[in-house]
Amino acid sequence: MTDNGKGGPGESGLYNRIAVLRAELGVSRQDLADAVGVNYQTIGFLERGDYGPSLKLAFAIAEFFKLPIEAIFATEPFRPLSEQVYAKTGTRD
Amino acid sequence: MRAELVLMGRRVDMARQGRRRALVVGIYAALAVLITAVWAFTRWHGGGVYVLWAVLIACRFFLGGYYRGGLVKPFQSRRPMREDAAPSLLALKLRMYRPVLDSDEAGLRNDERELRQRDRAHYLAYQAMGMTVVLVALMASMRIVLPPLRARMGMPADELYYGLAVITLTLFLTLPQAILLWTEPDMG
Repeated sequence: MTDNGKGGPGESGLYNRIAVLRAELGVSRQDLADAVGVNYQTIGFLERGDYGPSLKLAFAIAEFFKLPIEAIFATEPFRPLSEQVYAKTGTRD
Repeated sequence: MRAELVLMGRRVDMARQGRRRALVVGIYAALAVLITAVWAFTRWHGGGVYVLWAVLIACRFFLGGYYRGGLVKPFQSRRPMREDAAPSLLALKLRMYRPVLDSDEAGLRNDERELRQRDRAHYLAYQAMGMTVVLVALMASMRIVLPPLRARMGMPADELYYGLAVITLTLFLTLPQAILLWTEPDMG
Protein backbone atom coordinates (compact mmCIF):
# COMPACT_ATOMS: atom_id res chain seq x y z
CA MET A 1 0.00 0.00 0.00
CA THR A 2 1.42 3.35 -0.94
CA ASP A 3 -1.21 5.88 -0.03
CA ASN A 4 -3.59 4.26 2.41
CA GLY A 5 -5.98 3.68 -0.50
CA LYS A 6 -7.25 7.27 -0.45
CA GLY A 7 -4.80 9.04 -2.75
CA GLY A 8 -3.10 10.67 0.25
CA PRO A 9 -1.73 10.00 3.69
CA GLY A 10 -4.99 10.75 5.50
CA GLU A 11 -5.33 13.09 8.45
CA SER A 12 -2.25 11.72 10.20
CA GLY A 13 0.14 12.70 7.41
CA LEU A 14 1.66 9.21 7.57
CA TYR A 15 1.69 6.52 4.91
CA ASN A 16 1.60 2.93 6.06
CA ARG A 17 1.53 -0.65 4.86
CA ILE A 18 -0.49 -2.18 7.67
CA ALA A 19 -3.36 -3.38 5.47
CA VAL A 20 -1.00 -5.07 2.98
CA LEU A 21 1.05 -6.73 5.69
CA ARG A 22 -2.07 -7.87 7.49
CA ALA A 23 -3.49 -9.37 4.31
CA GLU A 24 -0.17 -11.06 3.59
CA LEU A 25 -0.22 -12.77 6.97
CA GLY A 26 -3.96 -13.44 6.89
CA VAL A 27 -4.44 -11.59 10.16
CA SER A 28 -7.74 -9.90 10.99
CA ARG A 29 -8.00 -6.40 12.40
CA GLN A 30 -9.20 -7.88 15.66
CA ASP A 31 -6.18 -10.20 15.88
CA LEU A 32 -3.76 -7.35 15.27
CA ALA A 33 -5.67 -5.12 17.69
CA ASP A 34 -5.52 -7.76 20.42
CA ALA A 35 -1.81 -8.29 19.81
CA VAL A 36 -0.90 -4.61 20.11
CA GLY A 37 -3.48 -3.74 22.78
CA VAL A 38 -5.86 -1.40 21.01
CA ASN A 39 -9.46 -1.45 19.80
CA TYR A 40 -10.05 -3.00 16.36
CA GLN A 41 -11.52 0.30 15.16
CA THR A 42 -8.18 1.95 15.83
CA ILE A 43 -6.53 -0.45 13.37
CA GLY A 44 -9.01 0.74 10.73
CA PHE A 45 -8.15 4.37 11.50
CA LEU A 46 -4.43 3.54 11.26
CA GLU A 47 -4.84 1.75 7.93
CA ARG A 48 -6.76 4.66 6.44
CA GLY A 49 -4.12 7.06 7.74
CA ASP A 50 -6.71 8.92 9.80
CA TYR A 51 -4.77 8.38 13.00
CA GLY A 52 -1.06 8.74 13.67
CA PRO A 53 0.07 6.15 16.23
CA SER A 54 2.19 6.89 19.27
CA LEU A 55 5.78 5.72 19.15
CA LYS A 56 4.88 2.89 21.53
CA LEU A 57 2.07 1.65 19.29
CA ALA A 58 4.16 2.01 16.14
CA PHE A 59 6.90 -0.11 17.73
CA ALA A 60 4.35 -2.67 18.87
CA ILE A 61 3.03 -2.97 15.31
CA ALA A 62 6.56 -3.23 13.92
CA GLU A 63 7.33 -5.95 16.43
CA PHE A 64 4.16 -7.82 15.50
CA PHE A 65 5.11 -7.87 11.81
CA LYS A 66 8.80 -8.43 12.66
CA LEU A 67 9.80 -5.57 10.42
CA PRO A 68 11.68 -2.32 10.98
CA ILE A 69 9.37 0.57 11.71
CA GLU A 70 10.33 2.43 8.51
CA ALA A 71 9.10 -0.55 6.48
CA ILE A 72 5.60 0.04 7.84
CA PHE A 73 5.31 3.80 8.34
CA ALA A 74 6.68 6.59 6.18
CA THR A 75 6.15 10.29 5.65
CA GLU A 76 6.60 9.87 1.88
CA PRO A 77 4.53 7.53 -0.32
CA PHE A 78 5.94 4.00 -0.51
CA ARG A 79 7.23 2.83 -3.86
CA PRO A 80 4.92 0.17 -5.33
CA LEU A 81 6.04 -3.32 -4.33
CA SER A 82 6.08 -4.42 -7.98
CA GLU A 83 8.49 -1.63 -8.81
CA GLN A 84 10.78 -2.59 -5.95
CA VAL A 85 10.72 -6.29 -6.85
CA TYR A 86 11.33 -5.75 -10.55
CA ALA A 87 14.07 -3.23 -9.87
CA LYS A 88 15.89 -5.83 -7.76
CA THR A 89 15.52 -8.77 -10.15
CA GLY A 90 16.11 -6.62 -13.23
CA THR A 91 13.40 -8.39 -15.22
CA ARG A 92 11.70 -5.16 -16.16
CA ASP A 93 12.97 -2.96 -18.94
CA MET B 1 -16.74 3.20 21.66
CA ARG B 2 -19.05 0.24 21.58
CA ALA B 3 -20.84 -0.79 18.41
CA GLU B 4 -24.00 -2.00 20.11
CA LEU B 5 -26.32 -1.16 22.97
CA VAL B 6 -27.63 -3.78 25.36
CA LEU B 7 -31.14 -2.90 26.51
CA MET B 8 -33.13 -5.35 28.60
CA GLY B 9 -30.93 -8.16 27.35
CA ARG B 10 -31.43 -7.19 23.70
CA ARG B 11 -28.57 -6.09 21.52
CA VAL B 12 -29.15 -3.05 19.32
CA ASP B 13 -26.66 -2.48 16.52
CA MET B 14 -25.32 1.08 16.66
CA ALA B 15 -22.34 0.68 14.33
CA ARG B 16 -23.82 3.10 11.79
CA GLN B 17 -23.07 6.75 12.37
CA GLY B 18 -26.58 7.68 11.23
CA ARG B 19 -28.14 5.61 14.00
CA ARG B 20 -25.91 7.17 16.62
CA ARG B 21 -26.74 10.65 15.39
CA ALA B 22 -30.46 9.82 15.48
CA LEU B 23 -30.00 8.63 19.07
CA VAL B 24 -28.26 11.89 20.05
CA VAL B 25 -31.00 13.99 18.43
CA GLY B 26 -33.67 11.86 20.11
CA ILE B 27 -32.09 12.17 23.56
CA TYR B 28 -31.65 15.95 23.33
CA ALA B 29 -35.20 16.36 21.99
CA ALA B 30 -36.56 14.30 24.89
CA LEU B 31 -34.48 16.29 27.41
CA ALA B 32 -35.64 19.59 25.88
CA VAL B 33 -39.28 18.49 26.20
CA LEU B 34 -38.67 17.34 29.78
CA ILE B 35 -36.92 20.58 30.79
CA THR B 36 -39.74 22.65 29.28
CA ALA B 37 -42.41 20.50 30.92
CA VAL B 38 -40.73 20.54 34.33
CA TRP B 39 -40.35 24.32 34.16
CA ALA B 40 -43.96 24.79 33.01
CA PHE B 41 -45.43 22.60 35.75
CA THR B 42 -43.14 23.24 38.71
CA ARG B 43 -41.42 26.57 37.90
CA TRP B 44 -38.33 24.74 39.16
CA HIS B 45 -39.71 24.30 42.68
CA GLY B 46 -38.17 20.89 43.30
CA GLY B 47 -38.40 19.98 39.62
CA GLY B 48 -34.74 20.23 38.65
CA VAL B 49 -33.99 16.85 40.22
CA TYR B 50 -36.20 15.12 37.63
CA VAL B 51 -34.06 16.52 34.85
CA LEU B 52 -30.92 15.35 36.62
CA TRP B 53 -32.36 11.84 36.99
CA ALA B 54 -33.32 11.78 33.31
CA VAL B 55 -29.80 12.84 32.31
CA LEU B 56 -28.23 10.16 34.50
CA ILE B 57 -30.55 7.51 33.04
CA ALA B 58 -29.70 8.64 29.51
CA CYS B 59 -25.99 8.31 30.34
CA ARG B 60 -26.46 4.95 32.05
CA PHE B 61 -28.37 3.26 29.25
CA PHE B 62 -27.55 5.14 26.03
CA LEU B 63 -24.70 7.61 26.06
CA GLY B 64 -22.27 6.02 28.53
CA GLY B 65 -19.16 7.81 29.68
CA TYR B 66 -19.65 7.25 33.41
CA TYR B 67 -20.99 3.73 33.71
CA ARG B 68 -20.41 0.33 32.19
CA GLY B 69 -23.57 0.74 30.15
CA GLY B 70 -24.08 2.98 27.13
CA LEU B 71 -22.08 3.42 23.96
CA VAL B 72 -19.13 5.47 25.15
CA LYS B 73 -16.63 3.65 27.35
CA PRO B 74 -16.09 5.09 30.85
CA PHE B 75 -14.08 8.32 30.62
CA GLN B 76 -11.99 7.27 33.59
CA SER B 77 -10.77 4.39 31.44
CA ARG B 78 -10.68 2.06 34.40
CA ARG B 79 -12.35 -1.20 35.04
CA PRO B 80 -15.04 -0.78 37.75
CA MET B 81 -14.34 -2.49 41.05
CA ARG B 82 -15.77 -5.93 41.45
CA GLU B 83 -18.76 -5.94 43.78
CA ASP B 84 -18.89 -8.70 46.35
CA ALA B 85 -22.54 -8.07 47.17
CA ALA B 86 -25.15 -10.21 45.42
CA PRO B 87 -27.08 -8.40 42.69
CA SER B 88 -30.58 -7.19 43.51
CA LEU B 89 -33.54 -9.22 42.31
CA LEU B 90 -34.76 -6.22 40.30
CA ALA B 91 -31.44 -5.97 38.46
CA LEU B 92 -31.60 -9.68 37.63
CA LYS B 93 -35.22 -9.46 36.49
CA LEU B 94 -34.46 -6.50 34.24
CA ARG B 95 -31.34 -8.28 33.00
CA MET B 96 -29.32 -5.25 34.02
CA TYR B 97 -26.80 -7.16 36.11
CA ARG B 98 -23.56 -8.15 34.48
CA PRO B 99 -20.65 -9.31 36.59
CA VAL B 100 -17.33 -7.58 36.03
CA LEU B 101 -15.12 -10.13 34.30
CA ASP B 102 -11.43 -9.93 33.54
CA SER B 103 -12.31 -10.34 29.86
CA ASP B 104 -14.30 -7.08 30.07
CA GLU B 105 -11.07 -5.16 30.52
CA ALA B 106 -10.69 -4.30 26.82
CA GLY B 107 -14.29 -3.18 26.62
CA LEU B 108 -13.86 -0.72 29.47
CA ARG B 109 -10.41 0.69 28.88
CA ASN B 110 -9.86 3.32 26.18
CA ASP B 111 -6.91 2.88 23.88
CA GLU B 112 -4.67 5.80 22.89
CA ARG B 113 -6.88 6.94 19.97
CA GLU B 114 -10.01 6.80 22.11
CA LEU B 115 -8.27 8.80 24.85
CA ARG B 116 -7.34 11.42 22.29
CA GLN B 117 -10.93 11.51 21.00
CA ARG B 118 -12.21 11.77 24.57
CA ASP B 119 -9.97 14.74 25.34
CA ARG B 120 -10.93 16.48 22.09
CA ALA B 121 -14.63 15.95 22.80
CA HIS B 122 -14.27 17.45 26.28
CA TYR B 123 -12.37 20.42 24.88
CA LEU B 124 -15.15 21.11 22.37
CA ALA B 125 -17.89 20.51 24.95
CA TYR B 126 -16.36 22.85 27.51
CA GLN B 127 -15.98 25.55 24.88
CA ALA B 128 -19.74 25.31 24.32
CA MET B 129 -20.38 25.43 28.06
CA GLY B 130 -18.06 28.41 28.41
CA MET B 131 -20.21 30.21 25.86
CA THR B 132 -23.29 29.35 27.93
CA VAL B 133 -21.68 30.81 31.05
CA VAL B 134 -20.74 33.96 29.11
CA LEU B 135 -24.36 34.21 27.96
CA VAL B 136 -25.59 33.93 31.55
CA ALA B 137 -23.12 36.60 32.69
CA LEU B 138 -24.23 38.84 29.82
CA MET B 139 -27.88 38.42 30.77
CA ALA B 140 -27.08 39.12 34.40
CA SER B 141 -25.24 42.31 33.45
CA MET B 142 -28.13 43.38 31.21
CA ARG B 143 -30.47 42.92 34.14
CA ILE B 144 -28.30 45.28 36.13
CA VAL B 145 -27.72 47.76 33.34
CA LEU B 146 -31.13 47.59 31.66
CA PRO B 147 -33.82 46.73 34.23
CA PRO B 148 -36.71 47.54 31.81
CA LEU B 149 -35.39 44.94 29.35
CA ARG B 150 -35.49 42.22 31.98
CA ALA B 151 -38.98 43.29 33.01
CA ARG B 152 -40.12 42.77 29.41
CA MET B 153 -38.77 39.18 29.38
CA GLY B 154 -41.70 38.09 31.54
CA MET B 155 -39.78 35.43 33.45
CA PRO B 156 -38.58 35.88 37.04
CA ALA B 157 -34.82 36.13 37.24
CA ASP B 158 -34.45 33.17 39.59
CA GLU B 159 -36.38 30.89 37.20
CA LEU B 160 -34.30 32.10 34.28
CA TYR B 161 -30.97 31.52 35.98
CA TYR B 162 -32.01 28.19 37.48
CA GLY B 163 -33.17 27.07 34.03
CA LEU B 164 -29.84 28.07 32.52
CA ALA B 165 -28.03 26.25 35.33
CA VAL B 166 -30.06 23.09 34.58
CA ILE B 167 -29.25 23.36 30.88
CA THR B 168 -25.55 23.89 31.65
CA LEU B 169 -25.53 20.84 33.96
CA THR B 170 -27.27 18.77 31.26
CA LEU B 171 -24.64 19.80 28.72
CA PHE B 172 -21.84 19.19 31.22
CA LEU B 173 -22.97 15.61 31.73
CA THR B 174 -23.91 14.70 28.15
CA LEU B 175 -22.18 16.87 25.56
CA PRO B 176 -18.78 15.08 25.44
CA GLN B 177 -20.50 11.73 24.78
CA ALA B 178 -22.81 13.35 22.22
CA ILE B 179 -19.81 14.81 20.36
CA LEU B 180 -18.10 11.41 20.34
CA LEU B 181 -21.23 9.64 19.07
CA TRP B 182 -21.80 12.31 16.46
CA THR B 183 -18.28 12.38 15.03
CA GLU B 184 -17.20 8.71 15.11
CA PRO B 185 -17.63 7.30 11.59
CA ASP B 186 -19.31 4.00 10.71
CA MET B 187 -17.68 1.08 12.44
CA GLY B 188 -16.72 -1.73 10.13
